[in-house]
Amino acid sequence: MRESRMNSLWALCALAALPLACAANEGSVDRKVAADAKGDVLISNVSGSVDVRGWDRNEIQVTGQVDEDVERVDVESSGGRTVIKVILPKGRSNGGDAMLEVQVPRGSSVEVSAVSADVSSKGVLGTQRLKTVSGEITAEISGEDSEVRSVSGDITVHGSGKPINLRVSSVSGGLDLTNGAGKLDVVTVSGDARVHMGDSSEINARTTSGELELHTRLSKDARVSIESVSGDLTLDLGDSAGLALEIESFSGDINGCLAEGKVEQVSKYGPGTRLNSRTGDGSARVRAKTLSGDIEICDR
Amino acid sequence: MTTRRVKGIGELPRDIPPARDLWPKIAEAIQADLSMKAVPDTRRRTGWWPAVGLAASVALVAVGVFIGKNFKPDEAQTLAGTQTLAPAADGGDSGMVKASLREAAYQKQRDQLWKEVQVKLNSMPPAEREKVGKSLATLKKSIQEIHDALGHDPANALLQELLVTTSQEEMRVLTTVRDSGRQEL
Repeated sequence: MRESRMNSLWALCALAALPLACAANEGSVDRKVAADAKGDVLISNVSGSVDVRGWDRNEIQVTGQVDEDVERVDVESSGGRTVIKVILPKGRSNGGDAMLEVQVPRGSSVEVSAVSADVSSKGVLGTQRLKTVSGEITAEISGEDSEVRSVSGDITVHGSGKPINLRVSSVSGGLDLTNGAGKLDVVTVSGDARVHMGDSSEINARTTSGELELHTRLSKDARVSIESVSGDLTLDLGDSAGLALEIESFSGDINGCLAEGKVEQVSKYGPGTRLNSRTGDGSARVRAKTLSGDIEICDR
Repeated sequence: MTTRRVKGIGELPRDIPPARDLWPKIAEAIQADLSMKAVPDTRRRTGWWPAVGLAASVALVAVGVFIGKNFKPDEAQTLAGTQTLAPAADGGDSGMVKASLREAAYQKQRDQLWKEVQVKLNSMPPAEREKVGKSLATLKKSIQEIHDALGHDPANALLQELLVTTSQEEMRVLTTVRDSGRQEL
């Protein structure tokens, strides 16, 4: 049965008109196609792993292992667009591990979609869109307008320190972002988020119950908006330009170390605390709000 | 109806009588209020709470309007497979009615989405189902907590804002979970 399937696969490979859809030998993949230096690469894999590496050649190489439940791995390339797709037998939507290593030209824009497969990327300079459901994502990101998204998988992103526009979101997975800069959107429901940014011009962050820790240096005219329901917020804004702070919590505590400003009660008769303060020219505006989460903020 | 052009403000009448005299009803209401002050505190309190409840519901309808405005109709159709509401037949002069209808449509879509997400959760591996299920439960509980807080402080702008954004977040997350896998591949 297995042998006849492999024979059919080789027969398919012999037809040049069809997409490249062949394993080099049983259980392994090894394909190479020419590619644009700044082309698009789309990869999809249900289960297993996808490891993307940028290299200095104008070609894409796909290597790896696939288990017997994988029907084939398609590699199609045309018009600056390469699609790499792990195909499972009809009617199957899970299982079928494929462990792929994909080497792409550094300047490529990469989009990876996975279900339970872990995704990692390194050395890619173009835009990256990495999505999984339960797989973990570990990525070095330096491309403008990039996005990293998971449902329950943890996300670890290392930026290049160069300002970019980055969106990171998870439902229950944790987020860990280091060396970011520029504009950032972070959303989690219950996952904790730790964000270390260099110079930031705009940050929008939102969590429901996860803890959010933000360390950044705000540039002049920066805008920061952070919201949490019950998750605690820790904001370290040391070395930032002049700040205008609007911090408010319905029933959480506001603490921290600030050069200016004092926490006050919103109402004489009900719950609620707020802190409005201004340092320097107040050009960088920071708004943080919680329902019951505590807020700790430092600007030195 | 005849019209007359006026050349100066002095030609305008100094007072215009109302179409009907409202004063007797107003006086009656004041009198009722005065007699209310004579009854014990407990009775007055029971009379006050429904008003708070009403105010809360008005605030929530207003919040519903915000959510409805920010929730794209085509997205809503895709989400729940239901039709969005047609404009009111009366030409749209009844804001409250429209807001209530929008709130009802939102609730219907939300309930439908929760059902679809439950189906999706059942198809997930146990560990993932537990993890994602807990997050969704947290989200639901958070919205309830904000509702509860709004019940005590209906005019609180912070709570209203949190309710709007958390409700929007819930819809976004529910859609993400429902479409996960299918969307990714």
